[in-house]
Amino acid sequence: MRTYTLTRGRTRPRHQLGLDTVLDAGHGRPGPGQAEECAEILSLCREHRRSVTELAGRLGRPVTAVKILVSDLLDADALVVPVTAPYAASGTDADARPSTQLLAALSTALKRKWPDAIAYPEAG
Amino acid sequence: MPSPTPKPDDPAVGVRTPSHSHAGAPTVLKIVIAGGFGAGKTTAVGAVSEITPLSTEEYLTEASANVDSLEGVEAKQTTTVAFDFGRLSLPDAPVPLELFLFGTPGQDRFVDLWYDLSRGAVGAVVLVDTRRLESSFTPVSFFEDIGLPFVVAVNHFDGAHRYHPEQVRAALELPTSVPVVTCDARNPSHIAGVLLTLVGHAVKYAPAGPNHLTPTTTLQDA
Repeated sequence: MRTYTLTRGRTRPRHQLGLDTVLDAGHGRPGPGQAEECAEILSLCREHRRSVTELAGRLGRPVTAVKILVSDLLDADALVVPVTAPYAASGTDADARPSTQLLAALSTALKRKWPDAIAYPEAG
Repeated sequence: MPSPTPKPDDPAVGVRTPSHSHAGAPTVLKIVIAGGFGAGKTTAVGAVSEITPLSTEEYLTEASANVDSLEGVEAKQTTTVAFDFGRLSLPDAPVPLELFLFGTPGQDRFVDLWYDLSRGAVGAVVLVDTRRLESSFTPVSFFEDIGLPFVVAVNHFDGAHRYHPEQVRAALELPTSVPVVTCDARNPSHIAGVLLTLVGHAVKYAPAGPNHLTPTTTLQDA
């Protein structure tokens, strides 16, 4: 199926979704006549919450097309954006960065997972 | 046509409690791995990702990715860019975390994609193949320009001449504040070490504060 058939001619998602926006399955049901890919997205998100990028990669469809389908599913409450997901800053707030506390947590977690990983000493 | 601003009463817009509990849902952090063709980005992502790296495609408009007008559409060139995605769950962290890794190509016509990926990121790794050092210039300049903390990781290829990190630093004209490390992109411990180096570097630029949701953050703009 061609991409424009998949999106029924739409070229733009109704929701602003980032490449890293995470989707979780919700309680709603998708509307009638949805593309087969919508069922696939829902099934993937029921297994594990997934980012927009991961869904596009697994479906083998371009990100924009997947965002359009995801928007339909968000409208139907079939998908939800988990509250802790929106880590990244909003469109205008390009400077928002993870806090030192989060970075410390990441550092601890990486060291636990790879005890023999060496962090190189800071230069300068 | 204006960008599709969701209606205020749209069920998927704004802060709301999802219909089922997400208590303890991990916080997402992301790291960008940029490098030229063949620098080992996919290998590096795969070394630490718990899923096989996924190749994902996005359309980019050459002039700008944020074109809201249909006028002049015929003059715009749309290209397809493929980038890699991997992820890593870190449930044992002091707070549950999920790390997203994005591997992106190094050409400057993809800067719109880099902007998207860099927003809110921990930082970036510029993966360098010393046989094609020039392909690192664009990502280095980009991350410098937008002020995203980055480290340079020299991927040692079998049979390639091994340069000292300081030689690479000099060739890339990097200030001493930017860490330059060597790695074997196939080795998970090496890549984890590169990520740890990046995290240590990023701490210097990080805002203080325990909250991971800033007041300006909205659900849909993640």
